[in-house]
Amino acid sequence: MDSMDSRFLLLPIVALTIIQPAQATTYLSIEQAQALMFPRATLTEDFRMLSPAQVAAIEKACDVNVSTNQLRAWKSSTGGWFIADQVVGKHDFIPFAVSLDDNGAVKDVEILEYREAYGSEVTNPKWRAQFAGKSRESPLKLTKDIQNISGATLSSKHITDGVRRLVVTYDLVLAAR
Amino acid sequence: MACVGWSSPMISCLPPVKRAKPLLGTFVSVAVEGLEAELANRAIAGCFDRIAHIHRRMSFQDGASDVSRLNRDAHREPVEVDADTYEVLRLAADISMHSDGVFDITASPALSMASRLGSPGGFPPPDARARWSDIELLPKCSVRFARPLCIDLSGIAKGYAVDQAMDLLGDYEPPQACVNAGGDLGHLGAEAIQVRLDVPLEARTMLPIVEIRNGCLASSGPRRNETPFSELEFVDGAARRIVSPRFVSVLASTCAVADALTKVVMARGTSCSAVLRHYAAHALLNEQLSAWREVV
Repeated sequence: MDSMDSRFLLLPIVALTIIQPAQATTYLSIEQAQALMFPRATLTEDFRMLSPAQVAAIEKACDVNVSTNQLRAWKSSTGGWFIADQVVGKHDFIPFAVSLDDNGAVKDVEILEYREAYGSEVTNPKWRAQFAGKSRESPLKLTKDIQNISGATLSSKHITDGVRRLVVTYDLVLAAR
Repeated sequence: MACVGWSSPMISCLPPVKRAKPLLGTFVSVAVEGLEAELANRAIAGCFDRIAHIHRRMSFQDGASDVSRLNRDAHREPVEVDADTYEVLRLAADISMHSDGVFDITASPALSMASRLGSPGGFPPPDARARWSDIELLPKCSVRFARPLCIDLSGIAKGYAVDQAMDLLGDYEPPQACVNAGGDLGHLGAEAIQVRLDVPLEARTMLPIVEIRNGCLASSGPRRNETPFSELEFVDGAARRIVSPRFVSVLASTCAVADALTKVVMARGTSCSAVLRHYAAHALLNEQLSAWREVV
């Protein structure tokens, strides 16, 4: 890439926690994800309430904890299923969507939203008090959210586990009809 | 990315299109601004297809990947690999040579923690003498190992995947675009983006931010709120010893180079100016609870 520009800045944390207490990025609404994953299809809502026996069977089959008994699934007019779900991320839930083909194989996965707090300390008033009045010293005018973070790589294992759980859920609940 | 400062007011206020998928073992997001939604989605889908291909070929965990096939068989006979895998191996060798072996894909900490990573198994125990120079890149994308060894490409492949996605996005000429694969990121466009460096916040009052435009950034360091410094392993490939971790970010013109050089700076700190200069890169370095230093 040509003409790379970069600069390094140190921003008082308080300035950021006031403007943007948590990292939050919305990628797709459920409707947008459905339109991308099943173009030109009609999706019919087919929500289920999992019975305790079904929850137990799913957990046994995939060794992943089922945190809710609500299954939000849509059947596609072109074959296959769309399921909206969420997994526990580092700080918050991560909503995601999975599309399955007629045989319950994963076609695609989309993250719908990603939220991340800066860490529990920023909600502690005592911790924040030490920065009182410092926000005006900011060398950087933050007019928008900082959308990107760079650091130790975050693992997406929770999502992978969540997808595996939904594949098993399809086998035991949606396909078993 | 905001709608200001662009030359064409016609395209500047199209809303950004952003998507994210779990790939390369992490979260990969692609953001495009200034293109019609349909075109932006087509470009983004192309990026994800490209990245998924790189993921399949270079995964350490997937027993069918090129990396697993090499680790299993390349010490016995030449193994033909995908052109992308070959290119990453070529680039890795180049960086190993210019860093005097500090960067070495045969010395990844992942290899010593293979059980934690979920190794595909089936490969022989690596020869303790094995080095990057034992990887022979033969014609026609064939690769042979001079002795039993294990490679792990997960870091540099992540950077390479970002580079490939950025190349693909470039063909669509978006006014602004950004690809972020778990902190390895590339940006193109007129307006700089701000990236927060994810150092542990405890006892800090200032948040480190990098502004970047038309370039790439990669970071390596301790995980915030998750892993104490001491539990992470970073390896000096030349000295074959575990180095004490620091937080390192590298800015470079490609993400593969930026990612690989984070390992060199991690191992050698401020004494790696020559290799940074060779790749026209520079680094930001933070030791535990000390000040930031810029290495150029």
